[in-house]
Amino acid sequence: MKSKSIENFMKIVFFISATMSIIAIVLICIFIFAGGIPFIQEYGLKNFLLGTEWKPNNTPSSFGILPMILGSIYVTIGAIIIGVPIGILTATYLAKFCNKKIYKFLKPSINLMAGIPSIVYGFFALVVVVPIIRNIFGGTGMNIITASILLGIMILPTIINISEASIRAVPRSYYEGSIALGASHEKSILSVVLPTAKSGILSSIILGIGRAIGETMAVILVAGNQARMPAGLAKGIRTLTTNIVIEMAYAADEHRQALIATATILFAFILIINGIFLTIKRRTNNG
Amino acid sequence: MKRFISIFLVAIMIMVMIVGCSNNNSSGNTVESGSSNGDDFDTGKTINVVTREEGSGTRGAFIEIVGILEKDANDNEMDRTYPEAIVQNGTNAVMTTVAGDEYSIGYISLGSLNNTVKAVKVNGVEATAENILNNSYEVARPFNLAYKGDLSPLAKDFLDFILSSEGQDIVAKEGYVQVDTQASNYESNGTEEDTLVIAGSTSVSPLMEKLVEAYQELNSGVSIEVQSTGSSAGMQSAMEGTADIGMASRELKDSELAELTPVVIALDGIAVIVNNDNPVEDLSIDDIKSIYIGETTNWSEIE
Repeated sequence: MKSKSIENFMKIVFFISATMSIIAIVLICIFIFAGGIPFIQEYGLKNFLLGTEWKPNNTPSSFGILPMILGSIYVTIGAIIIGVPIGILTATYLAKFCNKKIYKFLKPSINLMAGIPSIVYGFFALVVVVPIIRNIFGGTGMNIITASILLGIMILPTIINISEASIRAVPRSYYEGSIALGASHEKSILSVVLPTAKSGILSSIILGIGRAIGETMAVILVAGNQARMPAGLAKGIRTLTTNIVIEMAYAADEHRQALIATATILFAFILIINGIFLTIKRRTNNG
Repeated sequence: MKRFISIFLVAIMIMVMIVGCSNNNSSGNTVESGSSNGDDFDTGKTINVVTREEGSGTRGAFIEIVGILEKDANDNEMDRTYPEAIVQNGTNAVMTTVAGDEYSIGYISLGSLNNTVKAVKVNGVEATAENILNNSYEVARPFNLAYKGDLSPLAKDFLDFILSSEGQDIVAKEGYVQVDTQASNYESNGTEEDTLVIAGSTSVSPLMEKLVEAYQELNSGVSIEVQSTGSSAGMQSAMEGTADIGMASRELKDSELAELTPVVIALDGIAVIVNNDNPVEDLSIDDIKSIYIGETTNWSEIE
């Protein structure tokens, strides 16, 4: 009898623990949307999303976040161009080519990369990457290229770890079948194993995109943060996240609401990205 | 055992990297100091303009004084800051950027100025407290404290202290400008143990911390917390009641004045800063304005 009641009690404890994260996400949704939507309605969704001028302290002020949306998209694409090939090739190497000794060294290093605080990455980029870019492209060295390189490095652990797991999850019989048909080791991996692991690799890229679009503290240091339409690869840029962080401390009244609305848009972006991730995952499980 | 070895190896690798970096830095510094006479300053380079974020008290004051903020007849205001300007969100971030880039220009609170960067003269006047007080240095602004409703006895006493001769001495010592040079001495109103929360401008908080330190020496047992959150955040906290006193490094907005009572506790100059290697010593207000609205983009255009 006694053990039964303990069991029931523990069941409740476990259930509460499980619901905590759901409660948290629901609360976040409510607060972000309740805070942002009134402003968007008042200012007009079209003016807000497609406005090219962000001048909160002008009278009349303008709150167009298209420059920041494009900024986020540009640096994310840049990060993908730099990070994805390196990430997938590293994952393939780790899973299929590298010997145990190197693996024992490489794998912890990559996990270490995932644990480094983003501000440390940002500082690294500020003192190492920015001067290099400044020498090559001139100007301030704080631009789309710098931010893309930084983010490309930062999304590596996400891409490598998930891709490696999905490559390892491909049944060994696929590989063996290919070898039995006379294909070489390399050919079997590139033409049989990698295509089979495609959906896992795709989800790793999507999670990487999520990480890149949400990154803030590192980007703030190296992106230049100009709130105007992107003017070229060697020019600075401001992303949605940095727009919020940079101006929140001093924002008042309408300006503050506009920043919360920016967070709403960012949140919608993240929801869309995660939606795509879930769809791909579900399709894989069914097929 | 192998795990230990691999962890050990990673640790050694990190140590090597840190040592390597510090070596690089020190050798980099010697190179820089060797060239600090400005001989290799290339005046043909573009000016890298550094500004603060929208809403910052320093930016608000700077654009208004220098004339970057344009007002037309219909009361419309337009901030014409050069769109290519790098935006940094803090005094220290601006100083780090300017210290690391020979061709950049920025502006910071005069009290935060140190020797990593160089303050230029404005219209031939050096940025000093005396020059701000006698109105010859033009780029200056007030430091405001603001509170809602009635002050608690402790807050009242603390404000009296700031505006007394003792408090104003600290203001002067920290490089800011006194609002009242003939203030009377401070007399405690015998405040009991209590707590006080002060929040707001990152420009005011270094001064506020010194004032709090001195006040606590005179009144042991009181606890004063200074939060450095930004001018608007500070006003917000004061209006919401999460802070007893808000700090702002700008004039209060109408919406804030409707709820809060402001007190000016000091004046602050805004120093226009350039890299130590930059040979420029003196800029006119018009030069600064033209740089900050993007008309002058090259150092060679500055005489």
